[in-house]
Amino acid sequence: MGEERAGRDSRVMTPAPLARHILSLADTKRLLGIRYSDWLLGSPSIETGIAASSMSQDEWGHARLLYAMLKRLGFDPFEVEHERPAARYYSAPALDRPFADWAHFVAAVVVVDGALSVALESFADGKFALARSRVPKMLAEEEYHRRFGAAWFSRLAAAGGEGAARLRDSAGAMLPTTLAWLLPADTVHDTLVADGHVWPEDRVRDRCRRRVGDTLATAGIDLDAVEPARAGWDPERRRGPGAPGEEAVERARGDLNRDLFVE
Amino acid sequence: MAELTRSAVPGEARRSAVRRRRSLATILAAQPAPAVHASGGRDQWSAPLDEAPADKEAALRDALGEVQDPELPISLLDLGLVYGVGFDGGTARVDLTFTATACPCMDFIKQDVRDRIGLEPWVDAVEINEVWDPPWTTARMTDEGRRKLGRFGVSA
Repeated sequence: MGEERAGRDSRVMTPAPLARHILSLADTKRLLGIRYSDWLLGSPSIETGIAASSMSQDEWGHARLLYAMLKRLGFDPFEVEHERPAARYYSAPALDRPFADWAHFVAAVVVVDGALSVALESFADGKFALARSRVPKMLAEEEYHRRFGAAWFSRLAAAGGEGAARLRDSAGAMLPTTLAWLLPADTVHDTLVADGHVWPEDRVRDRCRRRVGDTLATAGIDLDAVEPARAGWDPERRRGPGAPGEEAVERARGDLNRDLFVE
Repeated sequence: MAELTRSAVPGEARRSAVRRRRSLATILAAQPAPAVHASGGRDQWSAPLDEAPADKEAALRDALGEVQDPELPISLLDLGLVYGVGFDGGTARVDLTFTATACPCMDFIKQDVRDRIGLEPWVDAVEINEVWDPPWTTARMTDEGRRKLGRFGVSA
């Protein structure tokens, strides 16, 4: 475990590539769950609110299993989950702020959740045993997210008007940073590929195109024309500049109920 | 029907609801608070075996067959959540999965498994191994499990 953990204190250390990759997936899942949960109330219908709640539950379940993988690499999962400041979160930048409206939510289901699922497919196909055994269950649950996102995205796009415009704007704004998150051009990624933990970039791109390309095209978005936004890339946190809002991270860490933890 | 008639008068309906709530609160207050978590079906657990069985793994499966899912009135075995059992040097091992990665009943289920198997005097310790491979689907349920759920109006 020592080779994956560079120091005793995960708050100040630089984790090795595999641990950084898991943190990137887990933190994105955790933040996505929070953003989904905001729409349990206020979405277009009771049914969509329940869907948002269910997907939020899934994301947090996946995050829990991913954080637990870090234990195998010598980390204290409690410390990683509950004691890091926002500036040390590895989550995708598209989740730094709350979703503005339902169109923003739907765009995130397709773009961010879709990218996460592609990243998980790649990880499940690699040589890390825990990923091979745990991620397929996550992907089975994600299939419902994919269907929900594709159906709502196509519906809003077909309806035209203000809804379609907001959908296009939201998806267009989050695609460049999310593609950069999914396709990191850094030495950490090179190491992960060389070690057989994830697919090379061209295979990830192809899988991403097949998973969300047709759905995005219903809103007139050409995935192949989108350039990853790599300016300000932070190889330590494997994401672009910025950090999730402190309010969301306080919820993710469970600050208010710290004294009531029963784990 | 009398309740429906009264509900036509909003003020009276509210007062009626308050009365019902107070009545429920009174009933609940009269119940002793459980000292530990206790999910459904514990009253149907068998008494522990008097002697250590020859086939301990079969005995463990029998015991697990009495542990119900907290949300559905069927056993973990009928749900197909038990992927394996083992017994070594006094320690019982249960390979257990869950229907969903964020199953809200995980801790309840684990506690029930520990408590039921822990009843057996020939078991010194219970080790639960959480597994996710292969992923659980309804295809892992037993026919008996499907029949039981069907009786409660749930198809699987």
